[in-house]
Amino acid sequence: MRKLKFYARIYFKILGQDIKSRMSYRSDFIISMIGMLFTNAVELAAFYIMFQNFNSVCGWSYYEMLFLYGFSLVALTPMQCLFENNWNLNGYVKRGDFIKYCFRPLNIFFYYISEIFDIKGLGQLAMGIGTLIFSWHKLQIPVTPLVLIKLILALASASLFFIGMMNFAAASCFYLINTGFLINTVSKFRDYAKYPVTIFNRGFRFLFTFIIPIAFIAYYPSLSVVRPDSASVLTWITPVYGSLFFYASCKFWMHGAGKYTGTGS
Amino acid sequence: MNENMKKSDSIIQLKHINKDFKILNRHEGLKGSFQDLFSRDYKIVKAVNDVSLDITQGEIVGYLGPNGAGKSTTIKMMTGVLEPTSGEILVNGRVPYQNREANANNIGVVFGQRSQLWWSLPLIESFKILKDIYRIPDKDYKDMLELYATMIDLEALYGKPVRQMSLGQRTLSDILAAFLHNPSVVFLDEPTIGLDVSMKAKIRTLISELNSRKNTTVILTTHDMGDVDALCKRIVIIDKGTMLYDNDIEHLRRFFGAYRTLKINLNKRGAVPSDDEKKKQPENVQKVLSKQFKAVDFSIEPDEEWVSILIDESQIPLMKVLSFLQEQMKIYDVRVEEISTESVIKKIYEGRG
Repeated sequence: MRKLKFYARIYFKILGQDIKSRMSYRSDFIISMIGMLFTNAVELAAFYIMFQNFNSVCGWSYYEMLFLYGFSLVALTPMQCLFENNWNLNGYVKRGDFIKYCFRPLNIFFYYISEIFDIKGLGQLAMGIGTLIFSWHKLQIPVTPLVLIKLILALASASLFFIGMMNFAAASCFYLINTGFLINTVSKFRDYAKYPVTIFNRGFRFLFTFIIPIAFIAYYPSLSVVRPDSASVLTWITPVYGSLFFYASCKFWMHGAGKYTGTGS
Repeated sequence: MNENMKKSDSIIQLKHINKDFKILNRHEGLKGSFQDLFSRDYKIVKAVNDVSLDITQGEIVGYLGPNGAGKSTTIKMMTGVLEPTSGEILVNGRVPYQNREANANNIGVVFGQRSQLWWSLPLIESFKILKDIYRIPDKDYKDMLELYATMIDLEALYGKPVRQMSLGQRTLSDILAAFLHNPSVVFLDEPTIGLDVSMKAKIRTLISELNSRKNTTVILTTHDMGDVDALCKRIVIIDKGTMLYDNDIEHLRRFFGAYRTLKINLNKRGAVPSDDEKKKQPENVQKVLSKQFKAVDFSIEPDEEWVSILIDESQIPLMKVLSFLQEQMKIYDVRVEEISTESVIKKIYEGRG
């Protein structure tokens, strides 16, 4: 517990300093914020146009789809903001610079990840929350404490899935040579996360549920709020499964780091 | 850790340390690379071979060796990043690779040109984070900053983000950061590489002052003999994983004290020899000398317009060589130099061949 407090203190100190220093590059901040909003606005427009022609996707209505979309945006934010340094891991390992993370009296995974906070993700978060509230209102889902708790739990576990996937993809560079493309590929898969997994055939459904679990980034967890009646067991185990998946990814990362430095597991 | 806790006994102990790396035997060509995919044909490379060391609190040890000699591997083992294949290793009474985090609390590391500070943060903010990470008490932290202020101009550094610093400022900052938590050992890996003369001098002074004020043990790897001359009383030389020399630097100079360098200039005053002549002159001198003194080894090489002859005076007096040469060729200028640390080290490397 004391260790947790120690790590939390250091984390927020680094985070606070990093945000402060980033804010001082004001135009960089504003431009990337606008860019992020623009990308998401275009996606929303495409969504709107699609639904001008179809009434539903696999039985999912326009507002339900919008809810999924907003849900996925929010769930992707923690990876984008807090675990951004995963993107650079391959480069550090390839150049041999990763060694510099091994000399502090801190957990290497924590120290490495805490180094960078990407503030750009906040634009996406705002967009996601807006979409979520709008579709929530249109779907006339009651606002009760139980539903809110379900939503927060669902969002948190969905985030863990995405972070876990990216951890696995990034840490692969400890085991194989030059796997920079892998994190790109996995990150691209998130585009499929905003659709109900039922639109895919059985093969893909299996793939997206058990192999690359993007169906857990929006579809399964959001069922608990949008369609609690049709939620399967996969929906209700999401928090547990998500935590386990995340834990496994951290272990995989740390084991890889140990392998890299030569201290074994 | 405060100063009086640091007793003057051994702080780092290595006993018969070995480190092997398993490397795949690569085959040539496209066909070979397919073979490699399934090959289990490994060879064992001994990066560090039976190295034993005992380092006392407060020493500055120069850890020298040519590139790829095994210096970094040894340092990685002392910092707990690598596990030795066999042998015992103790730093601060701990086995580093079994307690990497605990060990890290008591050491400071500056590793080449890879800054360990937060790239976008001003130095003082990095220091505040380090204060939390190493749990430095307020008073010790304040004292340390006051000490730093007496040594260098900190005002110029504190407010500056690391990314905007020059290489010299960054190295300086990294060294200050490594000493901040008053560790008992600091590892410096080529701290003066790529720096200008005045920055090198500044950094040497800083290291030497911190060492004497805080009684911090410093392990210094470098290729710059200026660093060695300015800082190290003891040097350890390693090549191909094997330790060649471990003693104080005075002993080393005495040991090679019989060596002196005779420099002769065969060109008229003001005349600049062509590249061709520069090559021919030493060859010529070599020929003349080896004919006359068959049993004696000379190491002869060009040095600008000079021909430099390293002479072992236990074999032959320098004056005898000079007077012989004077009869054989026209010498326009003469210089005699004591052997430099650099040539001593070079002799040791070459002696291993």
